[in-house]
Amino acid sequence: MSAILSADDLNDFISPGVACIKPVETLPAAASEPSNPYEVTTEDKVAATEAKLQAAQISLTDCLACSGCVTSAEAVLVSLQSHQEVLTVLDSDDSVGSSTGSLQDVGAGDDATVPNKRKRIFVASISPQTRASLAAAMGKSTKEISHMIDRLLLESITSNEKRGFDYVLDTAPLLSVCLHLAARELAASLANASNHSNSDSAPKLPILTSECPGFVCYLEKTHPAVLPHLSRLKSPQALLGTLLKSLLPKYVGNDVDIYHVAVMPCFDKKLEASRAELTDATWKDVGDITPTRDVDCVITTRELLQLAVSRDVDFSTLSPKPLPNKQLPPIPALQKLLLNARDTQDERSLGLQAGTSGGYLVSIMQELQLMHAGSKIIEKKGRNSDVVEFILLAADGETEILKMARFYGFRNIQNLVRKLKPAKLRMLPGAAARRVVGKAGRTPTARAGASSSSGSEYCYAEVMACPGGCTNGGGQLKPDDSFIVDSVAQATASAAVALRSQAKAWLNRVDEAYFSADEDITGDHGVALGARSQIVGIERFLEEWASDSGVLLEKLAYTTYRAVESNVGKIDGEMSTLQAAELAQKVGGGW
Amino acid sequence: MALKLVGSFPVQPDRVWCAAPHPHLPLVATASTDRAVRIYSLRDFSLVSTIEGGHKRSIRSISWKPNTKGENVLATGSFDSSTGIWHQEHRHAAGGDGEEPLESNAEEREEDEEWRFAVVLDGHDSEVKSVAWSAGGSFLATCSRDKTVWIWEDMGNENYETIAVLQDHSQDVKMVAWHPEEELLASSSYDDTVRLYKEDVDDWVCCAVLTGHTSTVWSISFEKNGHQSRLASASDDQTARIWHRKPKAKEESSTQPPSIIKGTGDETENWEEQSCLPKVHTRTIYSVDWSKKTGLIATAGGDGQIVVYQEVDGAKDGEQPGAGAEGRKEWKIIAQVPAAHGVYEINSVTWCPKWDKKGTTVDGELLLSTGDDGVVNIFELSL
Repeated sequence: MSAILSADDLNDFISPGVACIKPVETLPAAASEPSNPYEVTTEDKVAATEAKLQAAQISLTDCLACSGCVTSAEAVLVSLQSHQEVLTVLDSDDSVGSSTGSLQDVGAGDDATVPNKRKRIFVASISPQTRASLAAAMGKSTKEISHMIDRLLLESITSNEKRGFDYVLDTAPLLSVCLHLAARELAASLANASNHSNSDSAPKLPILTSECPGFVCYLEKTHPAVLPHLSRLKSPQALLGTLLKSLLPKYVGNDVDIYHVAVMPCFDKKLEASRAELTDATWKDVGDITPTRDVDCVITTRELLQLAVSRDVDFSTLSPKPLPNKQLPPIPALQKLLLNARDTQDERSLGLQAGTSGGYLVSIMQELQLMHAGSKIIEKKGRNSDVVEFILLAADGETEILKMARFYGFRNIQNLVRKLKPAKLRMLPGAAARRVVGKAGRTPTARAGASSSSGSEYCYAEVMACPGGCTNGGGQLKPDDSFIVDSVAQATASAAVALRSQAKAWLNRVDEAYFSADEDITGDHGVALGARSQIVGIERFLEEWASDSGVLLEKLAYTTYRAVESNVGKIDGEMSTLQAAELAQKVGGGW
Repeated sequence: MALKLVGSFPVQPDRVWCAAPHPHLPLVATASTDRAVRIYSLRDFSLVSTIEGGHKRSIRSISWKPNTKGENVLATGSFDSSTGIWHQEHRHAAGGDGEEPLESNAEEREEDEEWRFAVVLDGHDSEVKSVAWSAGGSFLATCSRDKTVWIWEDMGNENYETIAVLQDHSQDVKMVAWHPEEELLASSSYDDTVRLYKEDVDDWVCCAVLTGHTSTVWSISFEKNGHQSRLASASDDQTARIWHRKPKAKEESSTQPPSIIKGTGDETENWEEQSCLPKVHTRTIYSVDWSKKTGLIATAGGDGQIVVYQEVDGAKDGEQPGAGAEGRKEWKIIAQVPAAHGVYEINSVTWCPKWDKKGTTVDGELLLSTGDDGVVNIFELSL
């Protein structure tokens, strides 16, 4: 989905079946000014009156509530969540203390050290895929890219009396929290299934990853019957958002606004950030006040570089050395989590088989493996490179304890979703055939041939909308991107542009950078997972978060989904053939 | 030569979109706006069965699965955005359309002829415009107003898997057609182009784009000819064009080590426009069909005309005959029927074999046209 949805390509994914209907619906009724039909008027005057008409505004929330198109119109995405928007908010903040943007030495939980004049705190969180894309383009390591991003957001853009960010975080530590919670969620669903419990406390098996907002959006709009399978866990982006909004005010003061920008490989993450389910209204009592979003703005990898350009910074020339006095947000629970990740040297790395999208499946399987001594994980290639099956084999080497699979890309999602839909939805209702010689037709017996149990043989499916997973997200740098500066990278990239068969070579470069991050960052705050000690650390973090914020973990870390009813073409009940024909003429040039 | 009207099927209540002859039986199926598929006998032009109830909107396109044994399989593409797969078991395959010996009782016989709705393939977001089975019958291609072309693989047991979702077109995709021998798929679109696809290492990819038409390309048809590959296209720009595949330049460069990884080579094919058929249509051409038997091409469209073209040696006065290796060929109109459906537009023309009353093929070929008037006309080319 996201691969198609990019600012450079004004083309909606899957298709706006019908052009966006929202502007028509939400346009305020034109004020009917009393006019004298006999009055002579001038063109200027007419133009002035016309200009008064308000431009229709569509919010991303409107897009999510509408089934008109699977994702929204490009203009909406760009105007509401973009690097320009980030800069506008940064510029509008007049409470700049010092122009360096550096912070006082903030001790954990020490309220007194908060910058006193500051009304707003700007936090950026960076996805690992973003670092990988930039690393490939700049010919640097992901660690160096980390430091360059720090320098860009904390230092470079703050010059010239302009304000920069206060904190830059990595989403990886929060990813490890998500991965652990995902394993817990699956364990609960498996327990429900073995007790034959119909309890609604956990998703139906197989659980589908909810990290990909494109996939979530697609299910909500197109296959609501499959929603009970969706993991209820928030994504790392959303989890970090909730963490910052629920805890940071406790340590910096309640009168301080927190503006959280996430840098993601994906355009659909902007849609995720706009979800009503991901605001403070879902975890705290906000009363009548307008809810604030947990993530205020999402920009893509490419937009991060555009942001640099807008502030006259050449990203590629920034120093790859660490910033000497980089601060972490003064949240003790988060600081301990980061420290824990740093101290835990995991002997088992997620490795290449984890895939490019956070490693949900492999991490969950490794965590469940801890409960089965001597078991081992078998990887089996599927029918194409975006389908991989994993089997947890018992110590006897034969018994299959459980099976999971990875489905990346739209075509593979289709086959998964089709098998998960209730059987009757796969049949057209009332299908009948009759003989012509006046004999009444009989309803044919629908054979359930296609409803083989292949959908439920897995207990978990890691699903991502983009072929190749998140490193190939729509917001990443493309091979023909002018931002690619490294000469080796340029060579690969131009080969990819010239020859389709080389396209994968570019993606492989990004993937390499992504996987090398595991080694790079382990000494910093890595994604090393699975080890018991780390799980203990994560559990401790979750307890501390819940107690410090006074909110139940269920409200902080989980979210909900809702089916979006189709309303297109149902404005006046059934769309008449005439209307349909007219619409077809306009949009698709006839039948 | 002239096209002679030799019959027509009973009038249908609504617009007929297209007609599809059975790959080896004297049957033809039609798709129409009244959400029904009608199957007619080509022996006596009578209605054999009506299949309805499966789709919520107009059935736009229909295709018989080739190479089926002991049963008939139909795919229907509908404006309700779904594709249906229908099965009819016919144990007496050779006999044809239903007049079977009375060795089984009546109950069983009827059962044999019952069309059963087997599978619905959904996934398209908008009207399905065309469906087509590949030559071997293992793949089904569908295309839609949602700008995508999907390829489904028959996994057996009425189980179909999506193996490709091709999003190369920028507009409504009007038609899909498979190469008669190769696993090569073509699609035509409102974006004025024809695209060709084949399987790469891991996925289907667009391997050629045919540009030249200046408006919607409504219809495409491959030539059935072993030694070269050609494609005819018909468009809203009132032209029908012939495209051919240029042989790949042999790039045996010795400097490069031979590629041992399968399929990593460049998959691109080189297609270019060969000729434009004589321009006689005065409105949109909705349909083009290249006869597999005679190599004749028929077109029809919004102006109500049916036109038949033949490729002839084009050495004319002043030109040296035999210039060029293959000799110069050109297309000539050999028959033309104005107002073939009265004032109504013609949605499709299809060539099909001619059968006698006993159900054996005979010399000659029929041309079926379907119109907005609900009529399917049957023409024969006479000298």
